[in-house]
Amino acid sequence: MHEMSIVSALVEQVRAFVPVDATLLSVRIEVGALEHLDDDVLRSLFGLLTEGTPLAGAGLAVERVPLRVRCAACGTEHAPPDPAALFCPSCGVARPEILAGSGVTLSSIEVDVPEGGE
Amino acid sequence: MKIPLVEKVGKQNDEIAALNRVDLRAAGVRCLNLMGSPGCGKTLLLEKTLEALRGELSIGVITGDLTTTRDAERIARHTKAVVQINTGGGCHLEAHQVRQGIGKLDLPSLDLLVIENVGNLICPVGFDLGQDVKVGMFSVPEGEDKPAKHPQLLLQAGLLLLSKVDLMPHVPFRLDVFLADLAAIRGDLPVLALSATTGQGLGAWLAWLRAFAAGPAI
Repeated sequence: MHEMSIVSALVEQVRAFVPVDATLLSVRIEVGALEHLDDDVLRSLFGLLTEGTPLAGAGLAVERVPLRVRCAACGTEHAPPDPAALFCPSCGVARPEILAGSGVTLSSIEVDVPEGGE
Repeated sequence: MKIPLVEKVGKQNDEIAALNRVDLRAAGVRCLNLMGSPGCGKTLLLEKTLEALRGELSIGVITGDLTTTRDAERIARHTKAVVQINTGGGCHLEAHQVRQGIGKLDLPSLDLLVIENVGNLICPVGFDLGQDVKVGMFSVPEGEDKPAKHPQLLLQAGLLLLSKVDLMPHVPFRLDVFLADLAAIRGDLPVLALSATTGQGLGAWLAWLRAFAAGPAI
């Protein structure tokens, strides 16, 4: 249940990007296929941690990023569908370097900026 | 208005971990982050390790637990350089907690710092603490399916320990399946089988630790 740590960090990071006077409408994050994070829990916690703050009411969209690796033995890049079967399709060994599919990235926010707000 | 961003969530933790790494390296301390299930034998292995390397390597321990100081009390029988971190329900250690722990240790007097993470195979994996290497630990009674269920731990580890091998004759554990599943994820990951209770395999672990401690502080 490390979703709490992730969402606490996320809320803090999002806050820094929301312009003064703007209303946060939505946040999009990318979650790597290797991460053991529950989308529903992430969304609930985001609602809970923004409640009563200027960020309240914004939605959280969670996008899964498939695993993509490079074979350290022969350099072939591939996208294994199963994170527990990482054999290289070219040379047959499992020595993967992760290119994508790990970690959580804040990929966009959507804000409503009042007109004439400058 | 949509604002596209590319920012790692949790970068605050990474920034503090980087500070930990700078301080550890400046003091010439090598640091390993030990991660395994509750009850896989992390604390007992550390106790045996501290005894075996007494007078040879100066080892500090930061031990993380949800509650109680029991692990620190056990470690304190073997070294004065021990800090207990209670996470108060938190399922993993974070870099800021380790930073506080480091502040309570006399780093220049240490060769090696072992961070015993909260017993958990999932949550600790994604949090950099400033270590030089992550060491994963599975125990025989947990069953042979642990590698297949925890690829991310294996992908980040520099060493895997299989503990409680003295129980192999007494519990169902298919070593061939364990090794085949591991080879499907990380064919290059070194594995050491050991029992802290009987001492089997401890020699290889101590040799690995000596080599690690002597490694470059970059």
